[in-house]
This record gives sequence, C-alpha cells and structure tokens, in this order.
Amino acid sequence: MATVELKAVSKIYGTTVRAVDSVDLSISDGEFIVLVGPSGCGKSTTLRMIAGLEDLSGGTISIGNRIVNDVPPKDRNIAMVFQNYALYPHLNVRQNLSFGLERRRTFKSRWRGIWDSTYRTQRHAERLAITARVDAAARTLGIEQLLHRPPRELSGGQRQRVAVGRALVRDPAVFLFDEPLSNLDALLRGEMRTELRILHRSLRATMVYVTHDQEEAMSLADRMVVMKDGVVQQIGSPAEIYGSPANRFVAGFIGTPPMNMFEGRIARDSTGDFTFHWKESVFSLCKRWVAGELSALGHDTVTLGIRPDRLRILPAGENKNSCCLTGHVVTIERYGPLADIVAVVNGMRVISRTSTDTLAAICEGDAITLEFQMQFAHMFRADGSAVTSPRN
Amino acid sequence: MLQTSARLIRTLLAVMAALFVIWAFVTVAVREARRFWKDDNRTEIVVMHWSGEGGQEEDQIVEDALGQFERENPTLRVRRINPGDAGSFYTKLQTMMASGDPPDVFYVGSERLPAFVSLGLLAPLDDFLKRDSQLNVRDRIILEDFYPATVKAFQYDGIQSGEGAIYGIPKDFTTVGFYWNKDLFARAGLAPPSQNWTWDEFIADARAIGKLPDCTGAEFVTWPAMIRAYLMTEGVDVKGSSFDEPTTSNPEVFNALDRLRSWRHDESHTLTSGKSKIASGSSVFLTGKIGLAGPFGRWVVPSYRKIAPRDQGGFEWDFAPLPRGKVDSNIVLTVSWSISNQSKHPQEAWSLVRFLSGESTQRALARLGLAIPTIRAAAKSESFNDPNQEPANDAGFLTAADHARIVDWPTNPQFEALLGSRLDQGLKTGDLPLTQAITNFERDWRVESQSPLRSDSFPAMPWIALGWIVLLASLAGLAVWIAILRRGNLPAHQRSEERAGYFLASPWIVGFALFMAFPIVMSLALAFARWKGVSPLSSAEFAGTANFQQLFQFDQRFRTSLVVTAYYAILAVPAGQILALLAALLMNARVRGIHLFRAAWYLPSVLAGVGVAVLWRWIFDSDGGLMNAALQPLLTPLGLTAPEWFGQDAAIWGAPAFALMSLWFVGGTMIVFLAGIQQIPIELYEAASIDGSGRLRQFWSITLPMLSPIILFNAIMAIIASFQVFTQAFVMTGGEPGDLTRFYVLYLYNQGFEFYEMGYASAMAWILLLVVLALTVIVLRTSNRWVHTEGQKS
Repeated sequence: MATVELKAVSKIYGTTVRAVDSVDLSISDGEFIVLVGPSGCGKSTTLRMIAGLEDLSGGTISIGNRIVNDVPPKDRNIAMVFQNYALYPHLNVRQNLSFGLERRRTFKSRWRGIWDSTYRTQRHAERLAITARVDAAARTLGIEQLLHRPPRELSGGQRQRVAVGRALVRDPAVFLFDEPLSNLDALLRGEMRTELRILHRSLRATMVYVTHDQEEAMSLADRMVVMKDGVVQQIGSPAEIYGSPANRFVAGFIGTPPMNMFEGRIARDSTGDFTFHWKESVFSLCKRWVAGELSALGHDTVTLGIRPDRLRILPAGENKNSCCLTGHVVTIERYGPLADIVAVVNGMRVISRTSTDTLAAICEGDAITLEFQMQFAHMFRADGSAVTSPRN
Repeated sequence: MLQTSARLIRTLLAVMAALFVIWAFVTVAVREARRFWKDDNRTEIVVMHWSGEGGQEEDQIVEDALGQFERENPTLRVRRINPGDAGSFYTKLQTMMASGDPPDVFYVGSERLPAFVSLGLLAPLDDFLKRDSQLNVRDRIILEDFYPATVKAFQYDGIQSGEGAIYGIPKDFTTVGFYWNKDLFARAGLAPPSQNWTWDEFIADARAIGKLPDCTGAEFVTWPAMIRAYLMTEGVDVKGSSFDEPTTSNPEVFNALDRLRSWRHDESHTLTSGKSKIASGSSVFLTGKIGLAGPFGRWVVPSYRKIAPRDQGGFEWDFAPLPRGKVDSNIVLTVSWSISNQSKHPQEAWSLVRFLSGESTQRALARLGLAIPTIRAAAKSESFNDPNQEPANDAGFLTAADHARIVDWPTNPQFEALLGSRLDQGLKTGDLPLTQAITNFERDWRVESQSPLRSDSFPAMPWIALGWIVLLASLAGLAVWIAILRRGNLPAHQRSEERAGYFLASPWIVGFALFMAFPIVMSLALAFARWKGVSPLSSAEFAGTANFQQLFQFDQRFRTSLVVTAYYAILAVPAGQILALLAALLMNARVRGIHLFRAAWYLPSVLAGVGVAVLWRWIFDSDGGLMNAALQPLLTPLGLTAPEWFGQDAAIWGAPAFALMSLWFVGGTMIVFLAGIQQIPIELYEAASIDGSGRLRQFWSITLPMLSPIILFNAIMAIIASFQVFTQAFVMTGGEPGDLTRFYVLYLYNQGFEFYEMGYASAMAWILLLVVLALTVIVLRTSNRWVHTEGQKS
C-alpha cells in the first residue's frame, strides 16, 4: 500500500507535442483514482509514466514517498492490467499468474538444491507459497477451474479476470489499470466494474485506473481526474465533478446524455434582476449566482448549461414561467423507465431526460414546453471556466 | 462514364494479351515450318565444338571454315553450336545424346574416347577412309601424314586404346613440358634447359630459383595425366596389364611419386607451396615469381603471350619439353573431330570432318598458338613455328611428339577421377601420407571396378510395361479423383464454379505433370536402373536394387559424403539460426538508419552463388587468404597456426569452412525472424518488465517462445538447404582434397554428370529425399515440446 505523488509531470514527444503537460496529482493510500478523458488526452501516458514504461520529460513521480523517476518498472512494486490483457499466450493460466512471483523468488537457483539441502527445503517452501498465493487469487476471482488452460481457450471476461489475477497475486503497492474493460461487451463490462469495486474495497489497495468512458469513471472512482490535451481539467469525487464541473469541457464530457449548452448574454431586466438572453428567449436567473460575478461578465458571451434531467417537460395546462422554452419533438429515445426527448428549440437541438410515466401523451412532432430548473444550471465564462455558485 | 472506360481498358488489355500469346506461338510455328519445307532443301549437319582457351578467335576460325565448307558444298548446310568451354560442351553433348538428338560432328577429347566408344556413341571411321582411298578423293585424309600417337589416341578395340578401329580424326594436339621464366633463370645464373634435360637438372634449377628472394622454383601440377606423363619418363605407369590391376604401389612407381612428394613437402620454395586448389595451375606463372610451370601443353600459350615484355614490368619466357628420367618420354593430349553413331547423314558428316581436319583448317587454327597441327607438314610450317611469337622453342613440342605416347584411360571415368583425387592428398595437400593415399586409391578403384553394377549384365529396362503401369495408375487416380468430385453433392452453380476453377488451373496442372511429376516418376524408375546419361534412354538396364546395394554395402565415398554433409549441417544449421536471430534482434532496434543496416545485412543473400563462392575461395586460401591473415595474429600468441582449410587440415576444417561461409547467406533467415519479432505484441514485454523481468529474461520467456513457430520453420528450411549444399563446394574445392569436402549433392553430381551414372545418381537423389524427409519428420515430431503456436493468430 502506498501513496502516489505526481509533481509537474510532463511528457513531450519530439520537441513540441506535449502529451502530458505539468500534471500534479496526489493519490492517497488505498484510493481508487480514475483518469478519464477523450482519447489523446494523455491519461494513458500518465499511467505508463507511473508504471515506468515511459520516461518523464519533466517533473517527478514518487510512490510511497520514494522518487521513482529512474527506477525500472520491475522495482516499483506496481502491477498493471492492460487493455488487451497481455497474457503470455504460451503459458497456461497458472503460469501466467505465477510469472511475476517466479521472477521475484529468493531461492532461484535450480542447481543449488542438489547439494544444499537447506536451500532445497527453502526453495520447496517458496514454491508452495507461490502455489498458495496463485490459488488464493484464483479463488478470489473465481477462475480456479481455468488454471490449467491456455489463454486462447478463455473468453474475454475470463482473460480479463486472469489479467487482474496476475496483478492481484503480486500484492503490489499500486495497481494500474489501462482501459481494462474496453474490450468487453457492455454487460460484462458492468459486471466487471462491480467486481473491481468490491475487490478494491476488500484489498484497500491504491488503484489508478484509466478509461475514456466517463460512466465507468463515475461508477468506480473515489476521485476522478478529468484530462484534456495533456492538462488536468478537474480533480474531485464523481459527485463534485458531476455537480460542479470546473469548466465547460468537464461539464460537457461528464454525464449522459451530455449537458445542454446555450450560448448567450447576461442582461438585467427592469427589476434589476439578472436575465439570460439566448436567441429570442430570455430567462430569469433566479439569483443562483453571485451578482458580483455576473456583473463582472459584462457583455461577454457566456454559456448556460443544464443537464437533460433538469430540463423538465411542462405538462399541458401548467403555467409557463420565465424559465421556459418552447419547441417541437424530433425524436424520443426510450430506455425502460427513462426516455430522452430530443426537441428543437430556436433551431437548436435540446435533450430532456424524463421518466416514461410523464411521456404518455407526447408524440414525435408535438409542440413541447421545457422548463429550466435554474437552481441546477451551470454558467461558464467565455474562456470556459465555471462561474461559481454558492449553492453547490 | 468511368465504368465504361474502365471496362474498355480491361477489354483492350485482354485483347492485347491474347494477341501477344497468339503472335508468340505463330512466330515459332512459322519459323519451324519454314525450316522444314521452305526454299532451303539443303541437308543440315549440326556441328558442336568448344572454344575454351582459344576464345573468340577459335570460334571465328571454326565459323570461317564452316562458311568455306558451305560454299564448296552447296547441297549442305551447317548449324554450329558452341556452348563455350569444354565443361559446358560435355554437359550439352550429354543432354543432346540422351535425348537422342546428338550433333553430327563434334569434338572429342582423347581421354573420353574409350568411354564414348563403349557406350556406342561414336561412328567408326575406317570404312570412310578406305572408300576415300579407293576413290582417291582429292582432299582425302592420309593418316600416315599425321603424328602416329595422335591417331592412336582415337583407336580403341574395346579393351585398350591404340588398337582397333578409329573413332575420330585428330584436329590438333599438344605435348607437354615446362614453361620457364628466362629472367629468373638469368638471375639465378642458370643455363637454359636443354631439349633433353633430366629431372635432376630440373630440380637443381628449381632449387636454385627457390633461393631467390620471394621466389619459388617450380609449379608442378599433379593432374592425373601429368602424373602419368611424369611416371612414363621413369619407364613406369599406373596401370599393369590392364587398369583392373593398378601398379601404383609398385616400388618403382611409389619411389617416383615419393620423390615428387618430397620435392614439394620436404623442401621449401622448390615446388609451389600451393596446397589448395586455387594456388596452382597455369596462372601462377604469370606472377613472374615462379621459375618453371608445368607440365602444361600448348594451351597456355595464348594467355602467356599476354605477359608484358620486360621493359613493361613483365618477363621473357620459353618452353622446355618434359625432362627425362630413365627414358625420354612425353605424352600426347589431343582432340578429334568425331561423328555420332546416330547421325542421319554420316556421309555428309564425314565430308565435313575431312574438311575440318584438312591441312588448311589446321593451319588456320595453328596460328592461335593454342595447339599443334596433327598433320606433320602443317606442324612444321610457318603457321605453327612463328618466329615472331613466343615461345621460341616451338620445335621442343615437335621433337617431343616423336617419342610421345598416348595417355589412355579405362571406359570407367572414375579411374581418372579417383587417381587424381587420391594422389592429390598425398602429393599436393599432404593431408594423408602418400602410402595411405595410394592404398585408398587402390581400395576405392577396386570397389568401383568390382561393383555389382560393373560386372553383372542386366535385362533391358521394361520401359513399355512401366509406361503402361504409370499410365494406368494415373488414369485410375484421375478416375478416382473425378468420382470424388462427382460425389460431393454440390449445387449446380458451385459445380460449374468448380469446373471453371479446374479449367483455369489446367495450364499449371499440365505444367506440373510434364515438368515435375514426370521427371519425379522417371527418376524413381531410374533409381532401379543402370543408365549412362549420355546414351539413349532405351539402352537403360533394369538393375533391381543393385544401385542401393552398391551405395550401402560398398561405396565408401557415399558414406564419406553423408558424413561430411552431416558434419556441415550440424555446424551450419544452429550457427546460422543463432546468428540470424541475434542479427534480427539487433536489426529490430529503433535507431536512425536502421533500414540501411537491414539492407546491408540482407544484401549478401541476393548475390549470385558462384561469384560469392569465388570470393570465399580467396578468403579461405591458406596462402595469404583474408581469413588466415586475420586469424594468424590472434592465434600466434596461443602458439597455434591458422588451419589450412582445404589443405592439410581439411578433415577437421573443411566442412566448418563451408559452415562459416554459409553465414554469409544469413540475411534471408534474419528477415523472417525480424518479421516474427515485430509480430510479438509490445504489451507482453511491458507486462513482463512490470512482472520483474530484465532484458535477458524477456528474451527467454517472451521472444523465444513467441518466435518458436518461426524458429521451427527456419530450422526446417535450413536443414533441407544444408543437405543440398552444392554450389560453394563445386566452385571452391570440387570436393577436394580426397572426398573431405565432397558434399552429398556434389557427389551425386559427380556420379550423374561426370561419370554418367544417371541411375546411380537417381538412387542417391531418392536417398537424399528420404534422409531429409526423416529429419523433417523428427523435427516436426519433437516440435510440440518446444513450439508454442498459441501466440499465432488463428
């Protein structure tokens, strides 16, 4: 178990390509950290630098308070699970699991035991210990019956379990996962997610996990690190990141379906309250943001973001208020109890997530009124940064 | 629009291709048709000759002579074939004879005459001569005008040369002797050799010149004919009453041979130290550091005439006949114009032979200086005795001719080959004591001459029955195949597709049947036959298992060749694989210019075999070759000397030298390995490095197992190739010394194409197939223990 500390870590390819740009991250012992971001954001490179598979162009990485910049991977006491499993095809499952342990044996020599009986006994004991550890890991992952099989006879899920087992059996200070679930189908992915979570709970080990799937990140992470273009956008618990995205990118990247974004301007109405002008529509901002900050925005273009589930369908007959939009339904996507309504408002597509119960009367092509639940809205400046709101 | 034009282009291309094929066939057909019945109703006579040392000039002289002949004989047309040197000539002659379409008139060297006559290849010429003399033809050949020994050389009565019918009219000949460097003789203060000098004078001169700085006394080639010439001057020979009783171990013969050995090996700088094949022969004389070179005939004169005069850095030289021992003797080496026994126009062929052997053609050829006219008058003329051309001593050749004898050989060409090869071990390379070399020669010749293949007479090969069996078997096979195809319950459209497939593949199927299946079946049949590759197939005899019996029970050389080949394979296969793998690992590095390095490593594999072999012959030369020049400084501190690869140390170092050389061709294997290495997923290495593996462990645990299917493939290919090693040995050593570098396929070649034992060679080829097959099966069988196919994409 160990902490991992990244200080100003950078990776520059060639002379100009900054794959990872001055990342600072402090991972505490036993924490499950997920690096998430679109492809090419530098998350995998960051992970590989922690593993020691890539050299650093700048900064330091320490594991358990030891700077490991120049420590080879095998001496960092880490284990890594690869996207395509990277099982040794010529070894069976047991040999795959014990490969790392065999490399770390104290009593390595095959020959010394011939004349040194103490050595022989110790070597034998060590071998039993390895077998025991492999068995234990296999039991944990439910792959005991596969131990004698070669990897090619395993299904994708089983391979992934073996890959995890290979890390598990080593009992490393830090587990590294590089998109381990992306080769699995959706159902299996969900299942494995749960198991990884349970595994983490039982091991209390430090885990660093890379994924491009924000849903996976949300479901697994103690804390998430959202990255883009090699730069950390936001670090925080899934709830924080979902609830108060630090910038427009994070807001758009996290959450399904994506947040609806409206670009417009701030103004004041006759009563002096702040209003948001988007095309022909004007919304009252309901004092969600601090007045000072809003007035500081001046006449800049700002973005108002609202998650689809906070864009309520106003039932017919209910009075429209100052936060309503009117459009017509383009299509409805149903997901069991939930449904996404895609509507066109002022020529722009807007998505509203709602429970199927409220949907009964709505058909494609119908006119529809959507109500902003302004207390859950987000405001971003022209540079993308969020305007802080005291409520969240 | 685009589609129509694409279709147009496609149609156009197809039409052009079809037109091209039709054109090709039509031109050939028209040419052949024209030859048969258009305007030319002259009788065609095919003439074949070579122009080795004579080169372009000899070629031209024959061409001119034939033109003259055609003008004088308007009813005849001559087609001339010149395959190049004598070796290519005999190969071509052999294939033409075997196919039943030999040239009408061709050269025959006197050494081949008994073999050719006993195979019934040559027409006797006595009747032609008799009729000419009865009719008193104007340009008739009068044998009395010829040097008697040259005529005798082409007489053979079935048992010995010099008696019986005549099978060729000698066109030219040579006697032998030593070419001597006038400048070195002067520097050593020696008198020029006299016309009847002795071996004692010869060796005294050689010793004196050997004492000059950086000079060697004499180059003495130990070719079988020259050894016999040498022995004849002591009044002895290698054959007793017949060749079946060699006299090589008689005390007089042995002493004479041992004297020669002693001059070469017990003294330094007396006879050339050229112990390997390259450092001997006529060209060493050109260095100007050899006092005497021989025994050579006239054929070296054209090349020696190119030696620069003294004021341009060259030297002056002359000829001296063979020194005398107990008797004054010399030998005659001669080539005739002969007529094929299968010639359809023997009378016309004879008139051509008469013309070509006549004095005018002989005189024209004599100007080349290459050989002596066989007609005395021509030999004594200015054409040969050109006072303006070296050597001054043309008369030396002619004086020797008066007491020269023919060097006859038995019908079995192996006598000469064995004598040369075995004596060279004792006399030249010195890797065996002379007594041992002689014992080996007598043993091997006894085995050869008493072989069941020689003594027994066999029934004729039942070709017709065999033909029917093969035909019926193929028809039955075809029927079964068609039945199998019919039984497959294919829907109609698939069946028509299948038919179309077979139709499209039919050119290949026909080609395979004609050029692969037929020769394979043929060679299998021949493995049980005794057939001289130069005679028609109908003369083949059914020998049962006699070929195999001889191979396994008696043929020592067969066993040696297997052992030598296995020795080579054991060294070359692992060494080649390991080096290729290491090179591939190196070439996998990501460094700047890696493509250049890869190309450099691969480049040697694309170079032609013969050229490379010649290059390596110089590298392994024990006198100043690159290899020993590099090794000697490393070995001297250890008190060792570099081996004489193809000389004294050939028993141990001969095959390893070839194994070393085979590493030159490692590039192809390396490329395959490189491709394999690049297929290994990088994640495996990353996983292993995290799991605690260093570079070496990754190589053992990832690279090797993942590469094992490719190692298997490369190893099998290398094993097969190693048993087929031929070109290098053929060019570099010819199997010498003795049989120490005579690899299996080289011996097979010797049997098939030098001794004309095609049946025997076919049997050897099938044994080789079985050996290679067995080795491959063994490797494949053991492969499941070490080859991991799991990593392969399925």
